[in-house]
Amino acid sequence: MGENAGAPTEIRLNSDKDMLNVSFGEGKDYSFSAEMLRVMSPSAEVQGHSPEQRKTVSGKRLVKISGIEPVGNYAIQISFDDGHDTGLFSWKYFLELGQEQEGRWAYYLYELEEKGLSREPFPPVEGGPH
Amino acid sequence: MKELFKVADAVSQDQVLELLRRVKGPELEGNIVDLGLVSEVMIKEGRVYFSITVPSDKAEELEPLRQAAEQVVSEIEGVDKVSAVLTADRAPGATNGNAQPQAAAPGPNPMGQPVGSPGSGTGAVPGIKHIVAVASGKGGVGKSTTAVNIALGLKELGLKVGVLDADVYGPSLPRLMGLTGEPTPTAGEDLHPMEGHGLKVMSMGFLVDEAQPMIWRGPMVMSALTQLLRNVAWGEIDVLIVDMPPGTGDAQLTMAQQVPLAGAVIVSTPQDLALIDARKGLNMFKQVSVPVLGIVENMSYFLCPSCGERSEIFGHGGAEAEAEKLGLPFLGAVPLHMDIRSQSDAGAPVVAASPDSEHSKIYKDIAAKVWSAIEETSAAAEEAAPKIVIE
Repeated sequence: MGENAGAPTEIRLNSDKDMLNVSFGEGKDYSFSAEMLRVMSPSAEVQGHSPEQRKTVSGKRLVKISGIEPVGNYAIQISFDDGHDTGLFSWKYFLELGQEQEGRWAYYLYELEEKGLSREPFPPVEGGPH
Repeated sequence: MKELFKVADAVSQDQVLELLRRVKGPELEGNIVDLGLVSEVMIKEGRVYFSITVPSDKAEELEPLRQAAEQVVSEIEGVDKVSAVLTADRAPGATNGNAQPQAAAPGPNPMGQPVGSPGSGTGAVPGIKHIVAVASGKGGVGKSTTAVNIALGLKELGLKVGVLDADVYGPSLPRLMGLTGEPTPTAGEDLHPMEGHGLKVMSMGFLVDEAQPMIWRGPMVMSALTQLLRNVAWGEIDVLIVDMPPGTGDAQLTMAQQVPLAGAVIVSTPQDLALIDARKGLNMFKQVSVPVLGIVENMSYFLCPSCGERSEIFGHGGAEAEAEKLGLPFLGAVPLHMDIRSQSDAGAPVVAASPDSEHSKIYKDIAAKVWSAIEETSAAAEEAAPKIVIE
């Protein structure tokens, strides 16, 4: 049993809705920007079904988290204000992301550069809310 | 089998499987090899063949998964051609719809709405302490009969027990429990559950004609189940046994995701095939972190009613060995017996009809093991649930 053992003790979204803090206790506290979670969403839309199919999501520097919904007892579903809401973030995924945060972020920036993409939303403002 | 591979130069089955581990499962959890979705890999003269089992209604959208699998294997040196095919895992009455697990989930949560509010679909059900799914990898293993008798066994332990028939495709609980008629509405908008043999019972079978074929699309199934679970005045219940639809398709996965399950009991016959199916069931619950409380071997052996001879017609012991291999508790072996069958069909489950019989003892013993497993895991789960705070 103990399949639940990996669950965080607390998941906290800040008041600006752009930073999610996931605490696993025992010093394993991770803060993720909404941008990072959005571009590394475990959704099939982003990840594809193998490393070869993974997409590089760009232009999400200002994205915010618009909702969090628990899914069973293994994950949360995060909705972003750009309409993306198909990613189920499992406890295991948060741990992975947390432990490799810097490396993954650096690699993301490298990928953006490789592909000539930017973190900035582009075009800058589309005008009006969506 | 090994002989075959020698011919095929350096390419080995292990090599192929190793690379296929890079391909994620349909729900993007784990990989297709460890989820048990990849068939025997055939390698012949540089050609590699294998199949991937997917839910039938998802075959189309999982085409990229198939391509990804072919792609990774084609990278092996010495491989000339790769053929990966998708094999549909057809649940009985499976919908042809687009039953994405998320489809039934509430849409984007407007800012500020409380998370996990009552009725939002995934939270706890008021009044019900523990919900346990009884599942099987395939139909025809006696899952519903087992579910009802475990429920009765739990009741014998002095617990308040309900049974929810989640098999909306072929509800069998009304017949097994010998219940007819319609549930009466409460003063609110809910329904009173039916009651029989000291159990509270709810089934789609009470609401529609059992003989009338029902066509369910994915989202409808979820909404029906959510209503059966949440819009029924269950009252105070210690354990709600959910008789899951057979198989490991979308409906089951969605249920396992949407219902706050304390654990699952897997029912299997001793046959190998059924065990493979049972393993799929295990993997499904593993995917959604629902603890498997144990395996019940049904139709385990045949006790001849006239001479008392024990015949192990299906090869008894398979489930027990399998449970051990998987590190899961083996909850018990139920023999094939005419009484279980005929009494069940007559609406008198054996634990209620002949509580002191040999068979009832087996079920009560299983129920006792289930209860101790529930207590153990729920204590662990309660500790584990994260607090979600939105500032």
